[in-house]
Amino acid sequence: MIRSRASMSNKAVLFLVAALALPLSPAEAVDLGRGVQAHGFASQSLVYTSDNRVGGNSDDGMATDMREIGGNLSWRPDADWLLSGQVLARWAGQSDAGDLRLDYGFVDRTLITGDASSLGVRLGKIKNPVGFFNTTRDVAQTRPGIIMPQSIYLDRVRNSFLAAPGISLYGNHDYSSGNLAWQVSGVRPELDDPDLTYFMLGDRARGTFHGKDSWFAQAMLESEGGRWRGGVTLSQVSMKYRRGAETLPFTSGSSRLPSWVLSLEHNTENWSLTGEYSQTAVHSQGYSIPLVEQDNTTESWYLQATRRFGGGWQAFLRYDAFYLDKDDRDGGAFAAQAVFTPARVRFAKDWAVGVRRDIGRWAWSGEWHHVDGTAWLSPTDTPVAASKQKWDMLLLQGAWYF
Amino acid sequence: MRLFGWFLLTFFTLQANAVEVVVNRGVAGTSLAQASARALFGMRLTKWPDGRPVRVFVLPDGHPVHVALCKEELNLYPYQLRQAWDRLVYSGMAQAPIEVATEEEMISRVATTPGALGYVRRVKANDPVKSLYVE
Repeated sequence: MIRSRASMSNKAVLFLVAALALPLSPAEAVDLGRGVQAHGFASQSLVYTSDNRVGGNSDDGMATDMREIGGNLSWRPDADWLLSGQVLARWAGQSDAGDLRLDYGFVDRTLITGDASSLGVRLGKIKNPVGFFNTTRDVAQTRPGIIMPQSIYLDRVRNSFLAAPGISLYGNHDYSSGNLAWQVSGVRPELDDPDLTYFMLGDRARGTFHGKDSWFAQAMLESEGGRWRGGVTLSQVSMKYRRGAETLPFTSGSSRLPSWVLSLEHNTENWSLTGEYSQTAVHSQGYSIPLVEQDNTTESWYLQATRRFGGGWQAFLRYDAFYLDKDDRDGGAFAAQAVFTPARVRFAKDWAVGVRRDIGRWAWSGEWHHVDGTAWLSPTDTPVAASKQKWDMLLLQGAWYF
Repeated sequence: MRLFGWFLLTFFTLQANAVEVVVNRGVAGTSLAQASARALFGMRLTKWPDGRPVRVFVLPDGHPVHVALCKEELNLYPYQLRQAWDRLVYSGMAQAPIEVATEEEMISRVATTPGALGYVRRVKANDPVKSLYVE
């Protein structure tokens, strides 16, 4: 039932994107006149894994169930107002079945404009600023690879942290020596996602989370022309759990996830070096389960070197490390407490190497991952008991945007 | 002395610049601070000091005049400008610049669009646009 509903709405998006794209020359957004613009994007990936499942059933062959398609419209009736909205459908194995959803939709009002700076406010469903990449992570061309560095941009709980209804105050300031962009958002996140319930409370929890007042703040500094880019993201997501039909003696608790991300990038004509480091504390109470209520702090970081060659070619090397408890990196202490839970679900260390070629509005990519640990695998795709600690993955992707 | 200064400036300009920033003739002023130019071409600033909306026109990423604009006037690489636009456009925070295919089209679009901002290799005497000096 869900599948058929999804495929109906997907056809609608496909039709919309195709209709907008048809009159295009190869490298053009659709400018519809009167300040209205349309953009769209689509990608299809192939996944092969040695063990474990990503993007559908791929431990015994190529998986093709990983794709995304989306389109946006924006309208600038005058210099101070902007209305923007984007819809998106994404398929990724069991965790995303292509349901059409509103990615963002908000009104933007510029309040103050100077010679090289502006200050404004956004109201509606807005993207949550996290690190360099969260706001556009579903557009393949803007990602640092086919999949995001999972330590910081964890796909298995992505739907809960992408965007949220709320209000945001922002500023852009350009100086001769560089640029500062900042924003502060107060939001009420939409957390009604079984993947989040599983991530927070394990596979036997049956209830749902509801977002409480949460906030995000980010400041990004660029030295002249972006040779150096550096940023800080601070946030706190709060949520309340309503128990479902579980057999475990869960009570309805609440959790709070204060988090910070440091981002740094150095750009030259041919090279980009990118690194981000993050910690997220998990404070839970009221669940009546000691293991759940135990505070812990996750640790995430990655380093990536990207080399641009001529002719639209680029290649990258990345190391990405994710620990669910920074004081128990190998998961040994957790596994000793939690019966039937192996240590490997508490960490993931991922070496990745990839190539990409951009031809006009198309990007063709391939990348290979060697991973030790399963912390970022979606357990709805790969049940814990069936997972392997060391595994390899090959991804191929074709992507288009306008 | 003043004449010599003008001569030097003109000579230097001819030597160094492979690109000139142009605007619609209705836009006031004769020069633009580099910070403002970067904010405008970066789609972060949407109006002129008199409050009129800015319409930005660009050439394709690989066009030699676009490369010259990025490197000489804005002091950044074309891929950085593209990344900055994509970040804004696909999060709904700004609109994309309007891409034109040739310098001739650039001149005609800038000439006929109020508040337009663009660039060409060299403004010819009878081109119906105004050139702005980037400080």
